[in-house]
Amino acid sequence: MTAALRRATLVVALPAALLTAWWFASAGSTDFYRPPLSRILAAFGETWFGPRLVDDVLPSLARLGLGYAMALVIGVTLGVATGLSPRLRATLEPVLEFLRAVPPPVLVPILILVAGIGNTMKVLVIVSGCVWPVLLNTVEGVRNVDGVLADTCRSYRIRGQARLRHLVLRSASPQIVTGARQALSIGIILMVISEMFAASSGLGFTIVQFQRGFAIPEMWSGVLLLGLLGVALSVVFRVVEHRVLGWYHGIRAVQRQ
Amino acid sequence: MTAGKTGRTGKPAGRVRLGLAGLLGFAALLELAPRAGVVPERYAPPTSRIVAALVEQAGEQRFWTALADTARTWATGLAIAVVAGVALGVLIGATPLLRAATASTIEFLRPIPSVALIPLVVVLYGATRSSTLVLVVYAAFWQVLVQVLHGVADIDPVARETALSYRLGRWARVRWLVWPTALPYAMTGVRLAASVALILTITGELVIGSPGLGREIAVAQTSGAVPQMYALVLVTGLVGVAANLVTRGAERRVLAWHPSVRAEVPV
Amino acid sequence: MLSVRGLRKVYDGHGRRVEAVGDLTFEVADGAFVCVVGPSGCGKTTLLRCIAGLLPPTSGSVQVCGTPVTGPPDGLAVVFQEYGRSLFPWLRVQENVELPLRAARMPRARRRPLVAEALAAVGLSDAASAYPWQLSGGMQQRVAIARAIAYQPRVLLMDEPFAAVDAQTRADLEDLIRSVWQRLGVTLLFVTHDIDEAVYLGQRVIMLSAAPTRVAEELAVDLPDARDQLTTRGDPRFTELRGQVYAQIQKAKGAAG
Repeated sequence: MTAALRRATLVVALPAALLTAWWFASAGSTDFYRPPLSRILAAFGETWFGPRLVDDVLPSLARLGLGYAMALVIGVTLGVATGLSPRLRATLEPVLEFLRAVPPPVLVPILILVAGIGNTMKVLVIVSGCVWPVLLNTVEGVRNVDGVLADTCRSYRIRGQARLRHLVLRSASPQIVTGARQALSIGIILMVISEMFAASSGLGFTIVQFQRGFAIPEMWSGVLLLGLLGVALSVVFRVVEHRVLGWYHGIRAVQRQ
Repeated sequence: MTAGKTGRTGKPAGRVRLGLAGLLGFAALLELAPRAGVVPERYAPPTSRIVAALVEQAGEQRFWTALADTARTWATGLAIAVVAGVALGVLIGATPLLRAATASTIEFLRPIPSVALIPLVVVLYGATRSSTLVLVVYAAFWQVLVQVLHGVADIDPVARETALSYRLGRWARVRWLVWPTALPYAMTGVRLAASVALILTITGELVIGSPGLGREIAVAQTSGAVPQMYALVLVTGLVGVAANLVTRGAERRVLAWHPSVRAEVPV
Repeated sequence: MLSVRGLRKVYDGHGRRVEAVGDLTFEVADGAFVCVVGPSGCGKTTLLRCIAGLLPPTSGSVQVCGTPVTGPPDGLAVVFQEYGRSLFPWLRVQENVELPLRAARMPRARRRPLVAEALAAVGLSDAASAYPWQLSGGMQQRVAIARAIAYQPRVLLMDEPFAAVDAQTRADLEDLIRSVWQRLGVTLLFVTHDIDEAVYLGQRVIMLSAAPTRVAEELAVDLPDARDQLTTRGDPRFTELRGQVYAQIQKAKGAAG
């Protein structure tokens, strides 16, 4: 078996086996709550490739994108400011520790009070949850700039904006990306919850409607869609990360030898 | 020789004082803003009223039951996730074939958001603790598993060959080589899992209605008891802080022997 | 060109006062190559950092080209021992060499030839688009040297730059730095713990005492200007000079504690 073929087999083997097992185990199912996989897949096609795509799925993703982007900007800006100033950091640390320990979903009822159940609330929920990992990881990344690198910049008189760009941000970028990844997971959770909890449209809302209306195969298909979305977003993130942090993966690979 | 890390703060006493100032400033802001009419009191009651509601809650049995429920769900879910994560992580990590065969499945299942399972568990288990527990275990498990896999992969090849050349058997190697190398990663995984577990616990209680603080918050919100709702949010924040402190303390204790506490592997 | 007078540095912390540098006074003429040697822990690095403006002295003065040093002075470049940490891992070799010039807002048309020349001078023209961590230790240190060359400094400070490379690479780098010095005519202050290296490279060797550091002795190296690893090190005068330095260092070590 050639190396490529072997690798391909390993990638596909277990998932294929699991899917096949699921298919056959559920094939003759008469359990109302556990329909056959074939029905779920059929429902998937019917449900999600019609108007729902534009009416529910895309707006949900758009809100996620907007909230996530805002959280990145706010988190990195505040994080850099806090990370660079030891006094600011010491002052804000207990407050931040507390605010970040509040589980983000808990803010949904609060934000519903403040902003109703429209788009604003949903985006605010996502921002308020995603900003913390980005902020805290940015602070860590900025704090841990290498001392020799900082001295080099000082002795070559690289200051101000140039120093911020070339030294601080890039040095902190691996840590910032870690925060961004955690923020993405939280963002997806919040996107779904804000719609499940109280909403009139959106992906989460639609799935909950199916659940309440006992449209079980459609519900399962929704769950499947959420899973696929999670995976797809994760892949996109990985691709972007590899471009931005190519140097970092390289240096770690070398160090590990 | 060099400056080391940039941005040292100075004497610890000064830092504590600054931190306290920050906390007090924050509380003062939350007290004055509603009173001054900057923020509508309906949405954001002043701190004093929140604290009063909190004290009132603390006198009720219902509150403590909910707190205990949340704590129990969190701890149970976390424990299951950690045990399963470590066991599977070491098992899979130790065998290259298993690693390679499961890699694609893990990479696929891991990013699936737990909340996607909410409709499923509601339909299958109803509004009970079990539903939330499924969410918690599912989310926390992956955090632990991935970190442990990284830990096992991080074994120094030179150390491994030394162990082999001294003819250490499989179990001896696990005990003296695999476990100590993977332990810091496992602790990182526990820390991440603890935080995720709390989030999912509260989420489950909030959305599904399992017993716990989350459900109390939902109830307070629908009945318009705003100060009570904020008081409960405050409590969940404190629970979160407590959970963080506990896991960080455990990490420090368990890793006291370790020369360096590793940074999170960006996963 | 470089004047150090009465330099004193006391470190205060953790309940201990450490007088690292006691009273250092010496001068380096324009365009000279001076080596500084001393026993381990004698504050050589402290001295260098004070001259580079990275560390404020407790008392005394440092002047570079007649101007007192209060921060990293203009026209001065430093090459650190830890080349791995002093080069930016996210920039390619060429970009690393270019960075101080970019930060000084030199237009690209002027930058590019300087960078190309500097890389050619250290023999790394082929490695311009590699990342530093893809190169060996010796090559990384050459990149750091190229960066200093491109900066066109009037004073070059080197802090045990070859301590972390293997002996054969060190020999090559020693010859490289001498040729660079001769071509550019910079004033070079070279700190090292390697006595042979100090005598081989320098026109003068300044020997330091143990902490609190003072200048114990100065020695003029009257070897011919054209130096070569084989013949120069075999020269009886070389052996004499190195013996004198060695004896002085031993005395300094013995006088400590």
